[in-house]
Amino acid sequence: ACGGGETSGDGETAAAGGDGGGATMRLALNQTEEHPSFIALDNFGQRLEEATEGRYSIDVYPNETLGAQAEALQLVSDGSVDMAIVSGTQLENLNEDFLVFNLPKVFDDVEHQMRVVNDEAIVGDLYASLEESNNVTVLGGFTQGARSVYTTDGPIETPADLAGKKLRVQESDLHIAMAEAMGASATPMAFGELYTGLQSGVVDAAENNEVSFWTQKHYEVAPYWSYTNHLVGLDYLIINSDLLAEMSEEDRAAFDAEWTAAYEEHTELWATATEEAIANAKAGGATFTEVDEAAFAEVLEPLAEEFITSESQQALYDAARAAAE
Amino acid sequence: MDTNTVAGLILLFGIILGIVASVPIAVTVGLSSLGAAIVLLGTDQAVLVSAQRMFTGINSFPLLAIPFFVLAGVLMNNGGIAGRLIDAAKVLTGRMPASLAQTNVVANAMFGAVSGAAVAAAAAVGTVMTPRMRKDGYERTFAAAVNVASAPAGMLIPPSNTFIVYSLVSSTSIAALFMAGVGPGLVWTVAVMAMVYVYARRQPGRLRSSDHPTFAQAVLVLWKAVPSMLMIIVVVGGILAGFFTATESAAIAVVYSLVLGFVYRALHVRDLPRILLDSARTTAIVMLLVGVSTALSFVMSFARIPDLISEAVLGLTSSPTVILVLMMVILLVVGTFMDPTPAILIFTPIFLPIVMEFGVDPIHFGTMIVYNLSLGVITPPVGNVLFVGARVAGLRIEPVVSKLWPFLVSLVLGLFVVVFIPAISMWLPEAMGLVAAG
Amino acid sequence: MTTLKKGLDKVLATISVTLFAVLVLVVVWQVFSRQVVGNPSTWSEELARQTFVWLGLFAAAYVFGERGHIAVEFVVRLFPEKVERVIAMAVQVLIIIFAVVVLVWGGWRAAQGAMGQNLSALPFTIGQMYLALPISGLFVAFYAIYHLQGIARGTEPAYAGLEAADEEAV
Ligand code: NA
Ligand code: NA
Repeated sequence: ACGGGETSGDGETAAAGGDGGGATMRLALNQTEEHPSFIALDNFGQRLEEATEGRYSIDVYPNETLGAQAEALQLVSDGSVDMAIVSGTQLENLNEDFLVFNLPKVFDDVEHQMRVVNDEAIVGDLYASLEESNNVTVLGGFTQGARSVYTTDGPIETPADLAGKKLRVQESDLHIAMAEAMGASATPMAFGELYTGLQSGVVDAAENNEVSFWTQKHYEVAPYWSYTNHLVGLDYLIINSDLLAEMSEEDRAAFDAEWTAAYEEHTELWATATEEAIANAKAGGATFTEVDEAAFAEVLEPLAEEFITSESQQALYDAARAAAE
Repeated sequence: MDTNTVAGLILLFGIILGIVASVPIAVTVGLSSLGAAIVLLGTDQAVLVSAQRMFTGINSFPLLAIPFFVLAGVLMNNGGIAGRLIDAAKVLTGRMPASLAQTNVVANAMFGAVSGAAVAAAAAVGTVMTPRMRKDGYERTFAAAVNVASAPAGMLIPPSNTFIVYSLVSSTSIAALFMAGVGPGLVWTVAVMAMVYVYARRQPGRLRSSDHPTFAQAVLVLWKAVPSMLMIIVVVGGILAGFFTATESAAIAVVYSLVLGFVYRALHVRDLPRILLDSARTTAIVMLLVGVSTALSFVMSFARIPDLISEAVLGLTSSPTVILVLMMVILLVVGTFMDPTPAILIFTPIFLPIVMEFGVDPIHFGTMIVYNLSLGVITPPVGNVLFVGARVAGLRIEPVVSKLWPFLVSLVLGLFVVVFIPAISMWLPEAMGLVAAG
Repeated sequence: MTTLKKGLDKVLATISVTLFAVLVLVVVWQVFSRQVVGNPSTWSEELARQTFVWLGLFAAAYVFGERGHIAVEFVVRLFPEKVERVIAMAVQVLIIIFAVVVLVWGGWRAAQGAMGQNLSALPFTIGQMYLALPISGLFVAFYAIYHLQGIARGTEPAYAGLEAADEEAV
């Protein structure tokens, strides 16, 4: 309760600067002010302020100014920051069940993903699982789009085309295994070094969503996008559990309603941003080609079996797959 | 007063008071950030956040280049390359007026291409050059001033640890910054050489002209310097050819200087622990600063201080020229008493967002801020290169400073050339495709 | 106390040299495994980063033992020797506060909080890595106490910076 109490105290003082009387919740974000996540969260805060008559509002801190995702998670846990957007990999380090939603091919597409990650019956226990241990509640997810492989020297069609290619991945066992299953040499590398790495040939390929492909200018140096759609990325919105518990029922209802509106808005913004990114990258010389989907599914699907090690993980996986159309 | 303002005041006065009272800068920044964090978050969370930020601030792969370039520099220094570089510089400056003084300047620029710091250059080159220049009729104070004025070029010429620190706080590419530093590094060198030329014109006949080598000798001398200069080719070439990333290149530089030191028989395995400890010491000083500055920048962001300053500045004037000049003057003042590393860590998060509003490229701002703060290392009251340069010449600081100020004037002119002609910085990284053109 | 200080110097110097050597080898191996072996190493980046933080913190403690961290001394050096001495002692007290509050207390809390957070590529938790903070903090505090009593007794000069060395050189 100590963390939440202090935060409300700050809100009141900050409000003396002209906000109007309620608690301002600080939200740590790793994206820029132009990113769909920022826009949706900023709007979320404004609607929340209206709906709670100024009792709650949200101040979004973009660009990792409050810390990268691993730190943001710790900051929310101890109450220094109230909310944050973190990736599944961060939560997986606390509770291995989160791994399931990071698996390749667990979601068919964004629509399927959003249906699953907002279905109380599937995710209710999972999202509450960190409350006891870490004082963190997961509220839900923002899609980060389907991820595909892009290369420096011509498109790929089958896993065999990736043989001998150095594919940059995030440093995690799952991503390394995924790159290797797709036939590539997995090469962990800091994201900040990736543009120059692709340009100079330290690595031959990378994987991401279309929005990053465009905003990070990777299409300039690795213009061959191949729709492997190997996994659908997901970011979670987390909040300090004490703070959530302190909300009156009325405010909590408003909070939940506005959050639902926020992730729905985000999904639309994401779709628009993706279309724009594709159009822009194409204008910049990038090509987008389809792959042999069955061939990739064949090498990627066994990873689920390999990485799922508990019954709870299996149950989540089965529930997620059952929700596919 | 709201908590944000209180936190801002604690930072402002805590840091100034601490620095003036000779508290180590890292401790000053750490404790001031802690104080501000206590106001914002309460003691319990403030201690936790400060410690966390310190740790994660250092926990960065690109930063690894710093210990490696420090180590490569120390290895090169122990590996007996200063003499070879000076001989080569002498051939290149052969028939210029005051050629031996020009040799000192060029040797420092060449040393800059194998080392990430300026103090080593001032010490290594100054030690060899002072007696030679005395013999040719130069005043000892002038010789020391030339050496001191020219040594910081190495902080702009790649590799440069100062740029690595800047790349960290500005989220810019190290490779692009390294290439961007070449032009300003040459501007620095030319600014010093021009002043030496003016000096030579005013002293006709007083300076002994040094003897010129034959063509065959010249070729041999240059040939001997090739392996040393090759290090920068290996580093930059390796990055561009895709053998390794900018960070990894620093580790390769270590291996290269190690091999060279053994080949020249100037290094022995028994020297290595001492060399590693020397480098660990330099690294640790920078790392502690990076760690506490990460805590500082968290607290500043949390209290929205950069936004406040930015709004205040933009409310004052909307002329990019005025703002840039104002920032440069502030940094020149700060640089006289603060080292480049803490100054970059503290001021980049405040200044960069403002200039980016005006479309200044963060890479270009990097060369401005590094050039500017490099001036501080040769000015009193606090300036490492000045102190070391005076010491190796066997002089007190005051007489060196009296001969240094014409160079400072010329170097400040050079600064404004770098600030207002972006192409000097941006041409090379743009030509290599490391940054988007225009 | 001097014996203890010299012993600690030696231990920290050995740790720093060893960690530095490991760091060089790990990153060289990263390049070698990718470019020569053709099988990129998947753990080297994380190992290099963690080694680097430990190197930074322990070597920083060692430098506190030498009173070698960057400080601006020209203002206090304008004061008479007695005032200098008092200020120098106050500085050591501030270092003790920094070490105990930020490094030891904050570091210990950070370690506790992150004991359950696994590293991605190595079989350790983030909390275990954080332990470098409180451990190095204890060393820093010890050194500051050592210097505090040295300055108080007059066995150590108030200041031992570059400027002093410069004056000796004349
Ligand atoms: Na350099
Ligand atoms: Na100075």
